[in-house]
Amino acid sequence: MNFANTALLTRFMLRRERVNTLLWILLLGGIVILLVPGMYYALPPDERFAIVDALSMPAMVSIIGPAFAVETQTYGALYTNFMMLFTALTAALMNIFLVVRLTRTDEEKGRYEVLRSLPVGRLSNLSAAMITAVIVNALLALFVGLGMYAFGVALEDTGMCFNGSMLWGATLAVTGLVFAAFTALFAQLTASARTAMGYSFLALGVFFMMRAPGDMNPDLVLLSYLSPMGLPLYTEAYISNHWWPILVMLGTTAAVTVLAFKLTSIRDIDQGLIPAKPGRAYASSLLKTPVGLAYKLSRTAIIVWLICLFILGASYGAVLGTLDEFIASNDMYQQLILGPFGITIPEGLPLEEAVAILRETVALAGFTLPQLFSAMINLIMGMFATVPAVLFVLKARSEENDIRAELVLATPVSRYRYFIGYVVIAFVMAALVQAASAIGMYSGGISVMEDPADFPLGFAMQVALIYVPAIWVKVGVAVLLVGAWPKKAGLIWAYFGYTFLFLFLGQGFGIFPEWMMYLSPYAFVQQLPLAPGESLNLLPIIIKIVLAAALTVAGFWFYRKRDINAITN
Amino acid sequence: MRYSVEVTNLDKFFGRFQALKDVNLQIAEGEVFAYIGPNGAGKSTTIRVMLGILQATRGSAKIFGKDAWKDAVEIHKRIAYVPGDVNLWPNLTGGEVIDLFVNLRGKYDKTLRDRLIRDFNLDPTKKCRTYSKGNRQKVALVAAFAGEADLYILDEPTSGLDPLMEQVFQACVLEQKAKGKGVFLSSHIMSEVERLCDRVGIIREGEVVQTGTLDELRHLTRYAMTVTTENTIEGLEKLDGVYDIVKESYGLHFYVDTGKMGAVINHVNGFGIKKLESVPPSLEELFMQHYQKEAV
Repeated sequence: MNFANTALLTRFMLRRERVNTLLWILLLGGIVILLVPGMYYALPPDERFAIVDALSMPAMVSIIGPAFAVETQTYGALYTNFMMLFTALTAALMNIFLVVRLTRTDEEKGRYEVLRSLPVGRLSNLSAAMITAVIVNALLALFVGLGMYAFGVALEDTGMCFNGSMLWGATLAVTGLVFAAFTALFAQLTASARTAMGYSFLALGVFFMMRAPGDMNPDLVLLSYLSPMGLPLYTEAYISNHWWPILVMLGTTAAVTVLAFKLTSIRDIDQGLIPAKPGRAYASSLLKTPVGLAYKLSRTAIIVWLICLFILGASYGAVLGTLDEFIASNDMYQQLILGPFGITIPEGLPLEEAVAILRETVALAGFTLPQLFSAMINLIMGMFATVPAVLFVLKARSEENDIRAELVLATPVSRYRYFIGYVVIAFVMAALVQAASAIGMYSGGISVMEDPADFPLGFAMQVALIYVPAIWVKVGVAVLLVGAWPKKAGLIWAYFGYTFLFLFLGQGFGIFPEWMMYLSPYAFVQQLPLAPGESLNLLPIIIKIVLAAALTVAGFWFYRKRDINAITN
Repeated sequence: MRYSVEVTNLDKFFGRFQALKDVNLQIAEGEVFAYIGPNGAGKSTTIRVMLGILQATRGSAKIFGKDAWKDAVEIHKRIAYVPGDVNLWPNLTGGEVIDLFVNLRGKYDKTLRDRLIRDFNLDPTKKCRTYSKGNRQKVALVAAFAGEADLYILDEPTSGLDPLMEQVFQACVLEQKAKGKGVFLSSHIMSEVERLCDRVGIIREGEVVQTGTLDELRHLTRYAMTVTTENTIEGLEKLDGVYDIVKESYGLHFYVDTGKMGAVINHVNGFGIKKLESVPPSLEELFMQHYQKEAV
């Protein structure tokens, strides 16, 4: 009777999840599938070898996984080498969110208890969650497999066979499933959704790190095999098409799930096997003001974000030592770096000569390669840093949704004083996050560079902080949304997507009218490093700051005027 | 008379849905007022308008003579609020949350706080995510009573408490009442209302259908009567204001409108009364009477 009514619960979960998870599948699968023709046309066959070289560099391998069959690269093989690790990582994230939502979150909100009072078995909920995960991942696998195969047929000479395509999909699915199982396990160990998610992310991080040395050094490949973030890549889809890692991963999933079942049957509802330790009986002086409360609630997230971005910065910094060879052997980076100077390196030039040309060109212009490279990287980092900043504004909205904002607003705390805590954190975070990634990149850089003077800390900071006003504009938009249109505050992510799209597509493709590009604050960020004689243009910085301030003030004005947590139909 | 709460012709719409219809309430300073009504009747919405968390669509809500929306901060210096659905920060401890609220309201009495935590038998070192509904309510109650306030706005504060804790709660309210503080209590527990409250307001489907003292409300309702007589009573059904006559082995059981009691007794008297019992309506019955109008 432990599994009574599992089928019914599964149907119920699939129904609950139909929008959310379908969106995940469509977005994740869609991106993977559509990048097949995207990269195919962006990289003509003769340029692919340059990319392959870049992919086999240890620094790259540590981030995007091993490069297989470098000599005989078909397009499909290149695609696998380039894309598989990050796609699998995203699939893992999808599963962590899914399983936490279906297990621990339900339990925390008291919904699980209601279900358990019905004729439902002790293990039914967890089995239904795992079956839901299996179905979701199978759908993802089919979608990706068929979609990739379709493009494999439609495009010429890709080497993307049916077997390999299905293997691609299956790889994503089993990676997802292993993490679904681990999440189910952590959901039994911890006493809350938050900590269950924390443990799952930690496991994901550890497994991701663990495979890096294994991928880089064949002597350590066992590390990669042991990591569920490493093993999926050894399916070598479109290269050797091994199915055995799929079987191993399914076995792992089954074993971990069984363990989760065991644990769930011996623990009490609402409890975790790792007990929560007693906290403070009295509040620290931090909790005397609403701003202090906002800070206290956000502190862990602030620290985690800063560490993450420091590490991300440092990992880019670690590339700075071998930058010239890296760029000289990579057509895309060459174009990005040398393009503005109107110089191309002739084909087939020996690497040393190409490096020499590159160095000379850059030096003539008065720059250093690390400067140019970091400017390019910061284009992405500056975009990425918006995420934490905006999240802290949205925190004010979720506090309202969870009926906690009104607890504070029922004390002598004005709307402004309440909201400002979250907004200040968001604005400060934008700057801190950029500084953290700059310091990370600097520290990563000086440890590997021959001449650290090529990339001084001052420049690292400047090239990162120049994006801060642009991030502030987005924070301002988020404040306005939370203030004026709280139910649609999530639209800020649509704007985020818009600016992201136009950062990469807006300039080059010419598909969209030019003015659309200027709706993104990133269009007005001055390109660094400054050429000799060029000076920092303060006007766009001031305009962005004024705009961000105006949006924020407007947001506060609306926030004062509206109902808190109105139940509307 | 000085009023702590004055709600005048209050309407509240959520989109097209009208949650409050022409609500009028007047609560004198130092009065303990019970606000009762079925779930979804608009109790919490009224309270949220009184707190300036929701804005009145029409009409006004005044607390201590000040506008609940515009002067929210000023008003909140003198009130304490316990919500019906206490949601707390899962990663703060109960003690931290209590201190937060008391600190934000300004006057902090550590001895009183610790005494209340003891009285309510609360473990303040636990994270709020591990608290049951009753324990979360205790946190909110301790926070409310640990600071000074002139008006306590309590939205079904005891729905998760056990009878022992209910006693502690009632003692807290009576203590504040003795000090001349006002209490606005929305509640479902009739014994609590009968014990604590001076006046009662009943809200149904967004409308206040009745306000008054318990006695006044009882006048509007029926007494339950049991009569045993020597001879069989006849013709009772012809009298005005007599309802639901049931013939039992010992005599008759029926209900009488409060105003018709005299006529009924005169009538019954003629049949030789052996035993007569009249029970005033409990608040429970009073309440049911108003609720049942929905079903009709």
